Amino acid sequence: MKKTQTKAFANLICSLLLLIFEVWAYVETTGFRVHKRAFVQPATFPQIMICGMFIFTVILFLQSLLKVTRGMKPEDPDNELSPSINPFTHRGVAAAMFVVVLCVLYTYLFDKLGYVLDSACISIIIMYLIGKRDLKVIIPISIIVPLIMWFVFYKLLTVNIPMGVLQPLRELVDKL
Amino acid sequence: MNWSLLFDSYVNVFTSVQVIGMTLLGALGGILLGAVPGMTATMGVALLIPFSFGMDLISSIGLLLGIYCGGMYGGSISAILIHAPGTPSAAATLLDGYPMCQKGQAGRALSIAMFSSFCGGVLGALVMTFLSPLVAQMAMKFTSAEMLMLAFFGLSVIVSISGKSIAKGLIAAFFGLLLATVGQDPTYGAKRFIFGFRPLLSGFSFIPTLIGLFAIAEVIAGVERIISGEEKQQKSEEKITNVLPDLKTIGKIWPNIISGGLIGTFIGAIPGAGGDIAVFVSYGFNKSSSKHPELWGTGIPNGVAATESANNGCSGGAMIPLLSLGVPGDAVTAVLLGAFIMKGIQPGPMMYVNELPTVYRVFATLMLANLAMLLVGCAGVRFFAKIVSVEKKMLYPIILVVSLLGAFSINKSIFDVGVCVLFGVVGYLMNKFEFPLSPILLALILGPMCEQNFVRFVDVNNGNFWEILHRPIAVGFFVVSVATILFSIYNQRKINKREAANRKQ
Repeated sequence: MKKTQTKAFANLICSLLLLIFEVWAYVETTGFRVHKRAFVQPATFPQIMICGMFIFTVILFLQSLLKVTRGMKPEDPDNELSPSINPFTHRGVAAAMFVVVLCVLYTYLFDKLGYVLDSACISIIIMYLIGKRDLKVIIPISIIVPLIMWFVFYKLLTVNIPMGVLQPLRELVDKL
Repeated sequence: MNWSLLFDSYVNVFTSVQVIGMTLLGALGGILLGAVPGMTATMGVALLIPFSFGMDLISSIGLLLGIYCGGMYGGSISAILIHAPGTPSAAATLLDGYPMCQKGQAGRALSIAMFSSFCGGVLGALVMTFLSPLVAQMAMKFTSAEMLMLAFFGLSVIVSISGKSIAKGLIAAFFGLLLATVGQDPTYGAKRFIFGFRPLLSGFSFIPTLIGLFAIAEVIAGVERIISGEEKQQKSEEKITNVLPDLKTIGKIWPNIISGGLIGTFIGAIPGAGGDIAVFVSYGFNKSSSKHPELWGTGIPNGVAATESANNGCSGGAMIPLLSLGVPGDAVTAVLLGAFIMKGIQPGPMMYVNELPTVYRVFATLMLANLAMLLVGCAGVRFFAKIVSVEKKMLYPIILVVSLLGAFSINKSIFDVGVCVLFGVVGYLMNKFEFPLSPILLALILGPMCEQNFVRFVDVNNGNFWEILHRPIAVGFFVVSVATILFSIYNQRKINKREAANRKQ
C-alpha cells in the first residue's frame, strides 16, 4: 500500500484543510463589530475557539506528518487503508453523493411540491437506487408513510406543513 | 416532613382512575413523540396544555408528567434502533445503544434503557420528595461563575467520548463551540459569520443540527454501504423472553443507574442545565470510573444505563426548583409552570406552606408517571425491537423523510431542513475520517451557556476573570474538570496501548 493511501495521509490532508479553514475564520472574526466599553468583545469567544482548534489541528498535522515521513508500525491504526471520497472510482461514494444532491433538491422543492409529494419522490428514487425494484411495494410505501406523517403532524400536533400541489387534500381533510 | 399527609397523597394519586388513565395516556404519547426525531417532550407538553384545561390539577399534571417521562425514554428508541436520537437527551444513548443494536441486541438495549429510565426517574422523584428544599438552596447558589465552570466540567467529558484520537475529538469540540457562535452575539447583538444571510442571525438550530449529524449522515453512509455491498441486513433473531433486563444484567448495571440517576437529578435541579448535559456528564463519569473503559462505546449495557438513568433523573431534578422556588429547571418545567399558574397555583416557597397536599400529590404523580412509562415501555419493547428487521433498503428513505420533517417542524422553517442536510454531509465526512460526532453535539449544547456566562462574569467583575478563584463551587468544578481530563487522557492512552498490543498479536 502506498503512503498516500493510508489513514495517516488522509489525516494530514484533513489537518491542512482545517488549518486553511481556521485562518479564514480568524480573519473573518477581525471584521466583527467592536464595542469600546466591553470587556469581552463579540470576536473574543470565537477567536479563543479558533485558537483551541488551531492548536489541536497542528498536533494532528505533526502526528500525521511524522507517521507519513518516518513510516509506521504495521499495527498502527493509521497505517490502514484510508476511506475514499472519489465518486469516480467508488460506486458507493457516487451513490452517497447522489443522495446528497437529492436532499438539496428536496429542500429546494419542499415548499413548491409540498412535503408529501416531495418525500414520495425522494423515497421512490432512493429505494430504486439502492436496489429495491418492486414498484408494487415501493410506490405505496413511499406515498403512505409521508401521508401518515403529514396527517399526524397536521391534525394531532397542529404543525402546519407545506402541501404544495396537494393543497386540496388539506382542504378535504379540514372539511371532513 | 408530614409523613401521614405524604402517604395520603400517594394513596390518593395511585387510586384515582382518572389520574392513572391520564398519566398512562401521557406516557404513551410521550414515548411515541420522543421516538420521532425532532419531536421533543417540551413540544408534547406544550401541545397538550390546552387539552388539560378541563381537568383537575393532578390529572393534568399526570398527563403532562407522563409525556415528560415518556418523551425522555422515547428518545432512546430511535437512538438505539436507527442512530437518530429522538430528543437531545438521548444523544449519548446512541454511543452504546446503537452498537448493541448492530450486535443483534436491540431488544436488550431497549429494555435496559427502559429499566434505567424508570430507576433514574424514581431516584429523581425520591430526591425531589425528601431533599427538594435543600437541593433548591444549593442550586440557587449558582451564578455565572458556577454556570461557566459547570459548562467547562461538561466540556471536560469530551476527552472521554473522543474515541481513539483525543486530538480529533478536541478539534471536533472546538469546531462545535465555533459553530455555536454563528448568529447574533448574545450580549451586544453583533453579527458573526452571517455573510449577509438573514436566516443565520439566530444561528444553527440545535435539533436540525442533531438530526443532520446523526440521522441524515447515517442514511448517506447506509446508502454507500448498500451500494458497496458492505451493508448486512439485520434480522431480529433475538428472542425477547423478558421485557425487563435479567438479574445478571441488573447486577452489572446498578452502579451506573444510581450514579446516573443522581448526576441527572443534581444537574436537572440547576436552572438552565438539563438532560442533554447530564447524559454526557454521566457517561463520562461512569466511563472514567469503569474498570474496562475500553469497552465503552462498543455496545455495552452500562453505557445505556448510565445515560438513560441520567436523563430521567433530570425530570425529578428539574421539578425541584420549580416547586421550591418557582424557577423552572428546564424547558418542560417552564411549560409546567404555566399549567400550575393556569390552575391558580403559584409554585414557590409559599407553595410548601399553603399548598403542601398539592406538593405531595405532585411528588406522587411524578412517581406514577415513571411507573406508567415503565408499563407502556414494557408493552412496546417487542414491537419497537422489530423495527431493525425492516429491510434497510426501505428503512433508510423512510428515516430520511421522517427526520427531515422533524427538522422542519421545530421552527416551521425550510432553512432548518437545509441545515439538517448540510450537517448530514458534515457528519458523513466526519464519520468517514474518524472525527467523533458527539463532541460537536456537546459543544453546541454548552457553547452558548459557556459564552454567556463568561461574558456576564467578566463584565460583572470589571474585566477581572481571576475573581473566579474566590468562588469555591466554581473552583471545585474546575478541579474536578481538570482531574476528569487528565484521567480520561490516561485511560485513553491505556486503551490505545492495549488495542495496539492486541493488533500485534
